[in-house]
Amino acid sequence: MQTWLAKAGFDVRFTSLVLALALIWLALAIATEGLFLSPRNLYNLSIQTCVTAIMACGMVFIIAARQIDLSVGSQMAFCGMLIAFVQAEWLGAEAPYAWLLSIAIGIVGGMLLGAFQGWWTAYRGVPAFIVTLAGYLMFRGAAFLVADGQTLAPLSTVYQRIGGGIHGSIGPAWSWALGALACAWAIGQVVLARRSRASYNAAMPPAWADAAKALITCAALLGFVGVVCAYPDPGSVGEDGTLVGKGIGVPVLILIGVAMVLTVVARRTRFGRYVFAYGGNPEAALLSGLPTNRVLLTLFMLMGALAAVAAVITTSRLNSGTHSIGQMAELYVIAATVIGGTALAGGTGTIPGAIVGALVIQSLDNGMVLMDVSSAKRQIFIGLILIGAVWFDGLYTRRQIR
Amino acid sequence: MTALVEVRNLSKHFGGIQAVDRASCSLHEGEVVGLLGHNGAGKSTLIKVLAGVFPADEGQIIVRGEEAKFASPRAARLAGIETIHQSLALAENLDAPSNLFLGRELLTPWGTLDVDRMEHEALEVISRLNPNFRDMKKSVREMSGGQRQTVAIARALYFNARILIMDEPCAALGPAETRMVQDTIRKLKAAGIGIFLISHDLSDVFEVCDRVTVMKNGAVVDTVKVAEVSQEDVLAMIILGRKPGKE
Amino acid sequence: MNLKHIAALATLTSLALSVSQPAQAKGELVAVSWSNFQEERWKKDETAIKATLAAAGAKYISADAQGSNEKQLADIEALIAKGAKALIILAQDADAILPAVNKAREARIPVVAYDRLIQDGGVLYLTFDNVEVGRMQARAVLAVKPKGNYVFIKGSPTDPNANFLNNGQREVLKAAMDKGDIKIVGEQYTDGWAPEVAQKNMEQILTRNNNKVDAVVASNDGTAGGVVAALRAQNMIGIPVSGQDGDVAALNRVARGEQTVSVWKDARELGKAAANFALQMAGGTKPAEVKGASLWSGGSKKLAIPSVFLKPLPITRDSLKVVIDAGWASKAQVCAGVDAGKLPAGCK
Repeated sequence: MQTWLAKAGFDVRFTSLVLALALIWLALAIATEGLFLSPRNLYNLSIQTCVTAIMACGMVFIIAARQIDLSVGSQMAFCGMLIAFVQAEWLGAEAPYAWLLSIAIGIVGGMLLGAFQGWWTAYRGVPAFIVTLAGYLMFRGAAFLVADGQTLAPLSTVYQRIGGGIHGSIGPAWSWALGALACAWAIGQVVLARRSRASYNAAMPPAWADAAKALITCAALLGFVGVVCAYPDPGSVGEDGTLVGKGIGVPVLILIGVAMVLTVVARRTRFGRYVFAYGGNPEAALLSGLPTNRVLLTLFMLMGALAAVAAVITTSRLNSGTHSIGQMAELYVIAATVIGGTALAGGTGTIPGAIVGALVIQSLDNGMVLMDVSSAKRQIFIGLILIGAVWFDGLYTRRQIR
Repeated sequence: MTALVEVRNLSKHFGGIQAVDRASCSLHEGEVVGLLGHNGAGKSTLIKVLAGVFPADEGQIIVRGEEAKFASPRAARLAGIETIHQSLALAENLDAPSNLFLGRELLTPWGTLDVDRMEHEALEVISRLNPNFRDMKKSVREMSGGQRQTVAIARALYFNARILIMDEPCAALGPAETRMVQDTIRKLKAAGIGIFLISHDLSDVFEVCDRVTVMKNGAVVDTVKVAEVSQEDVLAMIILGRKPGKE
Repeated sequence: MNLKHIAALATLTSLALSVSQPAQAKGELVAVSWSNFQEERWKKDETAIKATLAAAGAKYISADAQGSNEKQLADIEALIAKGAKALIILAQDADAILPAVNKAREARIPVVAYDRLIQDGGVLYLTFDNVEVGRMQARAVLAVKPKGNYVFIKGSPTDPNANFLNNGQREVLKAAMDKGDIKIVGEQYTDGWAPEVAQKNMEQILTRNNNKVDAVVASNDGTAGGVVAALRAQNMIGIPVSGQDGDVAALNRVARGEQTVSVWKDARELGKAAANFALQMAGGTKPAEVKGASLWSGGSKKLAIPSVFLKPLPITRDSLKVVIDAGWASKAQVCAGVDAGKLPAGCK
């Protein structure tokens, strides 16, 4: 079955991951009598996944470079407190553009935290595990100190839209427009790939397989748009008094933007290539004269910036900055990345995989709360799934090598 | 005629170990010089110094008549020295064009990687070496030993190396692929490229090399012309450190 | 390691040591073992304890167990070794703390169980009546919504206070629940009392019930914040929500009408009382002889423990003036952003 899929040009690993997700969704739908698949819950799920997914996209690069970052949750907390401080304490939440400035400061703060960790790892040779473990403690402490442990609230009303709540989505018209665009792009990708393979006389997957790929991707994209538009926005009122559909939430747009940028970085920039080359063979990177120290430093700064983006979404959702946000986030992010196919040995990893990995974990959490499962049992379950996913991934890789 | 590369009294130590001890050798255009010796004789360290991986502690490297100091592998490459390390220095997870251009990527006007152009150029160089090797999207992990060797050699060729250093190129190859590499070496010789060849296979050495420099315990025992000695002589040099002609 | 490194290391170490040593003061040494200082409210408690001790000429040292039972044991051993004459313990776990309490007993050091229960008959249990807090939370919500669908957003599953609160809440609601006027349509603990977690749980509960939720009994202000955020996204602001701690953000929510009540425990009173009792006991008074203490057996093991219960105060829209007058929060903080046309009494 695997070789058949591979010959048909499907990424076997990704396909099996998507199938696993579909199975999980089916099981949860049955257990919740369909409630899991309701437009409202799927909309909520899409928002809840964004925070983990955005950081998982960055963690792909980190793990692909044979590094690790155990401090992303604490980075989130510190950046979140910075943002809330700027809005609630310094400039005043409703001051014009205060929210924009706060975001900028938050992201710069994240990059500084990343630069700190990257410097110790790259230029002082301290293993990333230790540096980021220290970061996990330090940044959480720093987050507490920003407001002496207090919660800073409320935040700007404009800022709140970023969280996907009231007025936090783009409505049906824009959503369908974006969906159509995405569909066209997906079809275009498949066509372009075929053309480029043809020009090299490289092995071509059968036309029906490529058509199926394009069709399935399109269906998924349009299906998602359809679902989120079917969820009536509690904060909207149409002309005839009915509720308008919510459409794609702002956090999802942010995730898409981040995913697109990072995919370009991975495939089309020297930085991205050096990250994967270093992870694949550090000796080769050294012998080829790659600026490995600079690459590692930039890598951790990138992760810090993404943690800050995640903090923006979380604080805007909560409408407050608390120093406890992001607790345990590092575990979920790493789990999502690994489930998504990024090998801990380094050198491989994809952005779409990480996003689907995040979806897997969040779906389980979301569904189990719907089923009223206690938090203790949820933790056990998710832990077992993580082991299962990595075991399965190992099986697959071993078969590849044979 | 001026030597392409001249190494004079080069020394390199690591902590208490003298890896290379006042070694001298030279390489001319269109010449293949074999570098022989036991494991730990200092051959790999010597070529790593030439490749810019380590700086020398003492001694000089003279490239085309001018003294050179290599601060990094990049500097060595700029001087026209390309090295094919024993491990090939290939990233297994990347494909042939990525490896070929690693560190020296071709960019679009916007600063992004010009993937298509690199693929095209890589295909040209690689298919000249091996007309059957056309799949530029395969990752190195999926390649045979001979194909990997081809990529490594193509990398050196593409960047117009005048001086090529090859460390045990045939160690992991079967007889057919070994012959392919030997043919390539002869072609390069004919094109005027100078090659330092490390090998432990004496018949291999006697096939392609013009001269042979033998090292033992970090020092050079002697440099002889292949035509003037026998395999037993060379063996004696390697094992006993005995110069030929001495009884 | 060269000289530069040694110098740097020495500087770092002495800096670290100097930060952790409080200034020298004559008098008794009173030690506080915090379970997790980084939760929001304990700063106020600490300030009060320090002030009371300083006024009496006593010295204050402390340690933060960062949520770990093992570390709390090690902390208490260290505090005893430093010569503490009395211990104030905010226990991470009522039972796991017992080895540490025994050590204190062996060293003849009296123990004040601060805010959280310690299952030992030899300590002085000083707390706000947490069951009463729960009762007050439920009462305030019940007053606004005597009938309908209720949700419990409880505290951390590892904090015994979470259950005390819930017990008090259920006590008050029992009559209506039995009559069928109130139906519990959702109930979840909140890991680490984290607002983020409360928000997500509330979202799912709202989904499951298709928004047919009429009231939320949240156990503290942090979780109440998460609940309110979830309600806001569903345009349901205004249904009664409870909380506790008197967080500034929560008081603001009460002023705006987004939260019904925040049960206020003047942590300053608790800290002051703890410091005073600690000094009394260090001077020889036995726990049961402390003024105001009486034996209480309400813990799960039914041990008789000398206890002092301070009275909490429910702060609703009508009683905001109390916290402002008490200097707990400023009028500006509490009333920020409130509609001019809807000012509560305390904001005028």
